[in-house]
Amino acid sequence: MTLRHAERKWAALAGLVFVLALLPAFVHSDYLLSLFDTAGIYAIVVMGLGILLGFAGQLSLAQAAFLGIGAYTSGWLTTHLGWSAWPSMGAAMALSAMVGLAVGYPCLRLSGHYLALATIGFGIITQLVLINWKSVTNGSDGMGNIPAPQIGSFVFDSYARYYYIVLVAVLACAYVAWRIKTTRVGRALEAIRENEIAARATGIDATRYKIIAFVLAGAYAGLAGSLLAHMTKFISPDSYSFDQSVVFLVMLIVGGSASISGAILGAVLLWFLPEVLRPLKTSYIMVYGAAVVAMIVFMPRGLVGLLETLRSRFVRRRPDAA
Amino acid sequence: MHFDPVANMQLLVSGLAFGSIYALVALGFVLIYNAVGVVNFAQGEFVMFPSYIAVTFLLPAITVFGTVVHWQLPIVGVYLLVLVLMVGFGLLFNRIAYHPLRDRGWMPVVISTIGVSIFLRNAAQMIWGSQPIVMPSLFAVDTISVGPLHIRPQDLLIIGVTAVLIAFQFFLFERTTLGKQMRATAQDRATARLVGVRVGRIVAITFVYSALLGTISGLLVAPLFTVTKEMGALIALKAFAASIVGGFGSIPGAIVGGLAIGVIETFGGFYISSAYVDAIAFIILISVLLVRPQGLFGERVAEKA
Repeated sequence: MTLRHAERKWAALAGLVFVLALLPAFVHSDYLLSLFDTAGIYAIVVMGLGILLGFAGQLSLAQAAFLGIGAYTSGWLTTHLGWSAWPSMGAAMALSAMVGLAVGYPCLRLSGHYLALATIGFGIITQLVLINWKSVTNGSDGMGNIPAPQIGSFVFDSYARYYYIVLVAVLACAYVAWRIKTTRVGRALEAIRENEIAARATGIDATRYKIIAFVLAGAYAGLAGSLLAHMTKFISPDSYSFDQSVVFLVMLIVGGSASISGAILGAVLLWFLPEVLRPLKTSYIMVYGAAVVAMIVFMPRGLVGLLETLRSRFVRRRPDAA
Repeated sequence: MHFDPVANMQLLVSGLAFGSIYALVALGFVLIYNAVGVVNFAQGEFVMFPSYIAVTFLLPAITVFGTVVHWQLPIVGVYLLVLVLMVGFGLLFNRIAYHPLRDRGWMPVVISTIGVSIFLRNAAQMIWGSQPIVMPSLFAVDTISVGPLHIRPQDLLIIGVTAVLIAFQFFLFERTTLGKQMRATAQDRATARLVGVRVGRIVAITFVYSALLGTISGLLVAPLFTVTKEMGALIALKAFAASIVGGFGSIPGAIVGGLAIGVIETFGGFYISSAYVDAIAFIILISVLLVRPQGLFGERVAEKA
């Protein structure tokens, strides 16, 4: 029991990863596994949004559009040009990041509600393009036969196999986000979030760092979109709606916006919440809406804040524990 | 594509009618924004929900919770009933979605209004099902002939009612104590409280007023489309765009922005592309944000309004 705090944290993290890696050995339902895969993919999108909103304080309601750009890039490259899945994922990430740059740059002058609205506009235009640019996107019919990734002759064509790709991607994205948060870039973003004028006065190049945040959010969503496309093998424009962007925002806020674990927790919890509520049948999305209001009213700092409060109480009561 | 003055006139009337709806909903946004500093993402549901309540009492038979009911009432009575119910709705909305979060900044309020919006859309689906419902109009005919023009009387009604409401609002804000208290609260809540304005009550009244503006827009626009759970969402987004194009926080800006977007969108849909008609409002929005982020009327007018 003499492990220092940091070591304990790493040990806990390693244990968690170990448990997560064993999950497909215990969960045999394809349906459940597909839910886990999607939850992980959404966690990536929400982490990207977390960098933009939680770290840098810039609200975007276009994450679903970037997800769509990633998915369609992957879909088009594999089905029209015959690329294999891995380079398509890279390309999807790169293109989405570039679009993030193109959207972020002109949006730099905007903040708060204005920025939110400009990104809503971008999201709606993107979805309309996906629906109407039929020669590339195949319109509302969607795009099918997107191949699964493979290494040699090993094809990631089941949800259990795909789970490991998602797990590695989530860990990599969480690591990058953590590196950003704990280094110079993260501190600069935090300074911008708290007070942009003061940040500029201390010599922080706010323009550059905000663009970095936009590009990263785009790249995360692009990767997630590509992962989703190669998992479901079929994509259609209605999955990339404004409502979906709102869902990502709610996931982040409910989880705890400035925290990486909060982003992951929020995404997973809110993705599974409708499943838990499914016995309520038709009323479940209604209850989901009410639950969102209740969570935001009663958990001011999100799930992570709630857990911290609980832990500090627990620790105070039993000072010898752990 | 030849230039046809008759067609253009008809497009203008229809564009002004849509623009009026955007303007009314945009006013609802701006009033709440001025009063409490947040954007209400459930504004579209302020349009959708009363429309459902109205059709429940307008149609000879309608399915509610899977049972067919016959609650048909006279149309004027239904309009009054819906308005009264929506007063209660506005108060309740303020109590649940805004009041507990009033000291926590704008983001939690935005999220909670989004939660309410999800709740209401799916409550509507649960109560009335997912089939679009046609709302009867006040008028027996779809179009009337004015010289060579074929015009929908509903369009004229929309434009007329909007004009009356704008005049009423001007009177309310410029000539009554209540209106002045609302403006004072919008400008500076702390000072307003110091001079004896009961800010909490004024905020509640603002929510009610905003809900009523949404209700009236819904009752006006529903006969042109159908009543669906999604009907409010796009109207609200475009109204939001309109209020930013006009200059956020500015009341004349919301009206002019709404009308402009309605007209440009109608012409654009006819002459440029009907597939991208819903993108037009946002292309205008993004252009305005890039060239003139403060909007057409800027913020200075907002202080006067």
